[in-house]
Amino acid sequence: MTFAGRGWVIKQDMSDDAADVQRVLAGDVEAYAALVDRYYDRCARFAIRMLGNRDDAEDALQATFLRAYRALNRYQERDRFSAWLYRILVNQCRSVAARRAHRERVFVREEALLLNAPDRSPVWTGEDEEFVQRVLNELDPLLREAFLLKHIEEMSYEEMSALTGVGVSALKMRVKRACDRLRERWERIQHD
Amino acid sequence: MTDSEQHPYVEWIASEARRPVLMDSDARDRIMAAVRAEPVPAAVPAWRRFLQPRVFHMSPAASSLLAAGLVGIGVLTGVTMSNRGGHSAEPPREVAVLPSQPPVSDTLVKFVFVAPQAQNVSLVGDFNEWDLAKTPMTRSGQSGLWTVVLPLSAGRHLYAFVVDGSSWVQDPSAPIAPDDGFGHANSVKLVVRGSSS
Repeated sequence: MTFAGRGWVIKQDMSDDAADVQRVLAGDVEAYAALVDRYYDRCARFAIRMLGNRDDAEDALQATFLRAYRALNRYQERDRFSAWLYRILVNQCRSVAARRAHRERVFVREEALLLNAPDRSPVWTGEDEEFVQRVLNELDPLLREAFLLKHIEEMSYEEMSALTGVGVSALKMRVKRACDRLRERWERIQHD
Repeated sequence: MTDSEQHPYVEWIASEARRPVLMDSDARDRIMAAVRAEPVPAAVPAWRRFLQPRVFHMSPAASSLLAAGLVGIGVLTGVTMSNRGGHSAEPPREVAVLPSQPPVSDTLVKFVFVAPQAQNVSLVGDFNEWDLAKTPMTRSGQSGLWTVVLPLSAGRHLYAFVVDGSSWVQDPSAPIAPDDGFGHANSVKLVVRGSSS
């Protein structure tokens, strides 16, 4: 996939997606693998950041791609396949989160070690991942969802609104609150 | 961008969270194995696609131009008609004055949900943009009974209860709509104009 600026879909992808969808609907099931390959990594990142662990993320991803496949004849070419798929993913993550609410995984990692590290390595380490995931998990799910869509998936508020069915002003408020919570967390740590 | 959004800690969390993640290398194969076990989705015939409702997006400027154009056509048509012989071909007809229709959201509907352990419950549906903040429910005493009354328009409404801000729950006392393919099977409320429930 190629990217134009901070946007997450470009027109080339639209034509590729539409062609692949048509191939699947014409009976070429293997064409669906191209769609899975094109969007799996990005969807996986959102699912893990949203749900906090790989097992739940994989469940959500499996359900997302399967539901998208079953509903493929309802996908309309004038819409962006990525946005359509992402809408299914967001709802699947909500469903998985609701099902496993009672068995929330808690990360026990001493974050002070990470916060006081003098140099941040550009390499993604297991400690960093656990720490960031723990911080994200502390956010209310709706705030986390809005924060991820805005600052990790880098969507516009209009795209987010079309995806979630929530108004732009409400989404802006959720993103602001999420950032406020993170900032307050930082200030608490500084005072402790 | 608010101050908090530009805070270095927030930016650091976001940049770290943007890194790619590692998943089980067989996960994609499992998806495709599940896909292959499914029947191929049938393509929708072209004539049905033509009949499906669609949404047109238009900029404010373009919509203003279109509106102005339609008004202009209407005015020109009126002028043309009035110039034929100096008067209209038919005498004006009497127009029956009908009693005004009741407002769109004219039916009070009561939603009841039992959740003794819940800290808060919200009603979400197509009538409030599925927004958790718009219709909080009220707890009745210590019974665990949560209720809310709101005006709804006549017709079929989809809804769900959201417990403690995250758990989406169907109404056990209501019919369930078929899964719409987007991950939610919602409850259904049929509202008849003028009645209350």
